[in-house]
Amino acid sequence: MAVDAPPALRLRGVRKSFGSVAALEDVGFDAHAGEVHAIVGDNGAGKSTTIKIITGIHAADAGDVLLHGERMALRHSAADAHDHGVSVVYQDLALVECLDIAQNMALGNLPRRFGVVLDRRRMEREAAAVLRALKVRVGDVRTPVGLLSGGQRQVVAIARAVRMDKPIILLDEPTAALGVQETAHVGEIIDELKAAGKAVICVSHDLDFVFRHADKVTVLRLGRTVGTRTVADVTRDEVVGMITGAVAGDAATAEVGR
Amino acid sequence: MSAVRTGAPWQATGHQGSADPRRTRGELLRDLLARQETTLLLVIVVVGALAASRSSLFLDAQNLLEILRSSVIYFLVGCGAAMLIIGGGLDFSAGAVFTLAALMGSTMLVSEVPWPIALLGGLALAALVGVVNHLVITYWHVPPIIATLGVFYLLSGVDNLVTGGNDVLPLPQVIQDIGQGSTLGVPNVVLIALVVGLLFWFLLEQTRFGVNVRALGGNRAAAVANGLRVRRIDLALYVLAAGTAGLAGIVYSARVGAGQVTAGGTSTTLIVITAVLIGGVSLMGGMGSIQGVALGAVLLSLIDNALVLTEIPPQYNSIVIGTILVTAVAVDHVRRERIFRKR
Repeated sequence: MAVDAPPALRLRGVRKSFGSVAALEDVGFDAHAGEVHAIVGDNGAGKSTTIKIITGIHAADAGDVLLHGERMALRHSAADAHDHGVSVVYQDLALVECLDIAQNMALGNLPRRFGVVLDRRRMEREAAAVLRALKVRVGDVRTPVGLLSGGQRQVVAIARAVRMDKPIILLDEPTAALGVQETAHVGEIIDELKAAGKAVICVSHDLDFVFRHADKVTVLRLGRTVGTRTVADVTRDEVVGMITGAVAGDAATAEVGR
Repeated sequence: MSAVRTGAPWQATGHQGSADPRRTRGELLRDLLARQETTLLLVIVVVGALAASRSSLFLDAQNLLEILRSSVIYFLVGCGAAMLIIGGGLDFSAGAVFTLAALMGSTMLVSEVPWPIALLGGLALAALVGVVNHLVITYWHVPPIIATLGVFYLLSGVDNLVTGGNDVLPLPQVIQDIGQGSTLGVPNVVLIALVVGLLFWFLLEQTRFGVNVRALGGNRAAAVANGLRVRRIDLALYVLAAGTAGLAGIVYSARVGAGQVTAGGTSTTLIVITAVLIGGVSLMGGMGSIQGVALGAVLLSLIDNALVLTEIPPQYNSIVIGTILVTAVAVDHVRRERIFRKR
């Protein structure tokens, strides 16, 4: 990987407690542009909390989040993360069922004409263009999201993140609710994002999926980074061992340079 | 990907992923029939036909205008109330805000303040109540129904205290002319409602704000996750709801020529919410239209009028309205269940 360019996303020594419960004790990894970086771990390992700290939903208690080499404040907003080039697909998808596909895809950034009027045509044209580029078949972009299946909703949520065209895309369990075919389709989209030079960070339970699409894998266990491996150089058994604790991890990542 | 219902537009193969706005006539018809507004229009026609068959007075132009005129007051309050409910809020203080703004505007008019300023004075006071509602709900974490009910009682007391229970009158002729007069044969109050209705329709259907309101009411967590400034939208909605209640109060005063302490109150609050719900606005938020509210308001004053003309005892009014309300909401629920699948 390029040594001189800073990683698209760097986490070091990130800690987060909810009351007396320590959710994250020491999380760190680097994710680079043009790579798919998987984050795996058992339930409660801290995967979703890590995502929410990057996107600004939660504030970290300590540690560093660097986007393109720029240090983010511990307490940054979702808008800050967005401005620094992060788009995200949450596990619950954050879709509004009573709005249609085009409206959902533009939500938070609806196009306007003359400063006031909603530019419905542009909104629908853009949504259709993104969906077509992703080879997504969900029917008319005027279809309310409430009518879609779980798999269709997932691709709409991903399409929304793609529409924003940010250099860093976070996906929280993008295949958890999907069937075989839909999972394969999401995998293709992830491959394409990688080919387009995005840094794709993907939380997943699905090791098959990870080994098929990811370049790097970071294992979290009990709120700590156990280690980061290049997928091509690691066996499934070793990753499983890191998840369960059977295989010892690397040294702590804390102590940030600078 | 599995299909929902055969022949439904969203699985049509002709325009996969396209933004083609052209729809077949069959699809348009189906969409139209699926709307609560269509059902409502049919109910209005049926009630109207029944009334016409039993009373020759019903179809008289003056009577039809009177139905419109009395529905206007509910509709005006309903515009703001509907926006708020679509955005996931609720306002029970409307009836008291109605009276408060009516009294404020009337007091200023009686003190010979020019009417546009008196109107602004009444609206400003109403808007202030909207701000208070929002603050109590957002920062004291009181659920909307409780907060606004509390404000309702509080203001009802204030309304009575400041006037000593006496109406504020007489209002100057100029404002009475506006409230009671007609332009080109259409009552001015109906024209006012038309303008306000168009404004709210535009706001809800044609602006970014409108889509954000539906998003907020449809899924608050998703609205937050997508970076919408939800508190700002909440504030705007409570101010709009109180503002239309205040406007209706002032328009009503102009129509009757006095600021009445007994105008508004619980009955206005409840009738407006009833009209809004009958009009297809969902208490669950996200769904509803201004057209629906207009039909709901017309239906309520139509029933009122029809019962009087057909000499059915007024006690039946409440029974009929209660039945229609429960039926409308039940039908709306069934419709939702059929449209929106669980994931």
